[in-house]
Amino acid sequence: QESHAVGKRPDNPADLVGEGELLLTLNIFYPVIFQKHKDHKPYQTVLVLGSQKLTELRDSISCVSDLQIGGEFSSQPDQAPEHISKDLYKSAFFYFEGIFYNDKRYPECRDLSRTIIEWSESHDRGYGNLQSVKMEEYTFNDLSFKIGFPYLFCHQGNCEHIIIITDIRLIHHGDCLDRSLYPLLIKKHWLCTRKCFVCKMYTARWVTNKDSLAPEDPCFFCDVCFRMLHYDAEGNKLGEFLAYPYVDPGIFN
Amino acid sequence: MSEVPGLQEDCEELLGAFQAADTVRFERFAELWRERRFHTIYYGRIRALERNKITKKTLELAQQYFLPPYAFQIRVGALYLLYGLYNTQLCQPKQKIRIALKDWPEIQRFQQDLIDSQHYDAAYVFRTLRLARAFHFTAMPKPLNYRTKKKIQENEFKEEFKDPSNRVNSLITNDVLEELMNVHEHYQKMKCVISADKLQPDKALSLIKDEFVVTLKDVTLEHQEWQQNRMKLFLNAKETNEMSNKKKEETLLQSEGAERASALARIKYKSYSAVAEASRSRRHRQVKLESSESGLNYGKSPSRDKKATRRPQPARRRDSLE
Repeated sequence: QESHAVGKRPDNPADLVGEGELLLTLNIFYPVIFQKHKDHKPYQTVLVLGSQKLTELRDSISCVSDLQIGGEFSSQPDQAPEHISKDLYKSAFFYFEGIFYNDKRYPECRDLSRTIIEWSESHDRGYGNLQSVKMEEYTFNDLSFKIGFPYLFCHQGNCEHIIIITDIRLIHHGDCLDRSLYPLLIKKHWLCTRKCFVCKMYTARWVTNKDSLAPEDPCFFCDVCFRMLHYDAEGNKLGEFLAYPYVDPGIFN
Repeated sequence: MSEVPGLQEDCEELLGAFQAADTVRFERFAELWRERRFHTIYYGRIRALERNKITKKTLELAQQYFLPPYAFQIRVGALYLLYGLYNTQLCQPKQKIRIALKDWPEIQRFQQDLIDSQHYDAAYVFRTLRLARAFHFTAMPKPLNYRTKKKIQENEFKEEFKDPSNRVNSLITNDVLEELMNVHEHYQKMKCVISADKLQPDKALSLIKDEFVVTLKDVTLEHQEWQQNRMKLFLNAKETNEMSNKKKEETLLQSEGAERASALARIKYKSYSAVAEASRSRRHRQVKLESSESGLNYGKSPSRDKKATRRPQPARRRDSLE
């Protein structure tokens, strides 16, 4: 466990965490990408203050699906756009105890929970009143939840993370008292990065499908090997293939 | 993380010795601690990650003895134990003692008791821990663990450490008796008011025994004395048995919890030991008797044997229970 922030005091006195502040420990689970993770899901542990808004936690969650770049770029490998999914699809929600907290800070944000609420209201499915409110108007002190009970964080439309609150306690003299460092990450699961199939040294940045030049489908390449194999000196495409930019889940290690 | 083996036994041994010393003085506790070199309890795991875990587990275990329903002496012993464990831990920065907020008023009452009964050394030890900021004030006493496959172990603490569970006393408290007295007097006055003779209620209105509150109080006191005597008898018997035949006397003088448990076990054994033998047409599917007592057999169904085997007669067990 990283204890780099234990006992830290802020430079700016306005950032000092006050007495009586609550400290919550949350486990945020990664969505299951690899099948081997199905039984023991990897997670990261985050500390949040009771007075922090839900949006601060949302911004601090780093998920690889936020960095995906959509689109097929075999014909124009140099023009992979700079917009990552995080900028394009900003909607997200938290679900705690029957209430959906939707991120409505930007005009592009949509209410992703509306579908669920409509579904539960269409027939008598036995779920109580589900409500939808704005995430930015609530702090953790305003919530009511059960410790150890799984709740949900959903972003990018279908990327779901389970959130479990494991501990609530009062802030202590020995804790990090710098508000600007919260939400504080104290534990992260280390994921293996996929290396390029050719050089086996660099992290994969491209993935190809239906590639006549590659030994397996899908096949992963680093940038250099990708260009050397699939394009000639003038930059013309050689052979048939589909190429997508690839972001490895281990990028946050 | 798995249970730390031997930790509970060591702590109980130390607290047991402290209880036998029949004092609440810190010097006595410190002697016992030094005799056992108790600070070496942390030397089991030296690597940083495991060190944190073992320290947390140790403090959590010791903290449980600090709260009711344990006897006063055990709670003072637990306080000293926490003090010792907190100060001799190897972790830097120090791991803190978790106390749930719901237990805090009880602990403050305990501290007030200590000061009132002039056990100033215990009160000082507690105050030192407070000043050293040794406590984390949490919502839940135990931090969660995720290994759902592991069975949650019920911690069975020794009966001797607990205050004799006086259920009768907790129901008929002083407040309740006072209230009853007041109601009773009020009732008598009402009866007088509506009777012909203003000083005494009518004979027709006497439906209850007048002295019942006093009788109730006497009965409660009697029960408490009886329970204390029984406890002493049990403790004495336990001491003298260390040398002589343990099994025999233990079955005679079991504490009430164990008695009930053995009675239940007897009934269960009688009802489950009869296994119906299958008819000859189905003799290849005899049911074998499997005991559910060992935790390892959890979830297994009775095995089927191809041969027509007779079920084994557990003669040994029958003797020891009766």
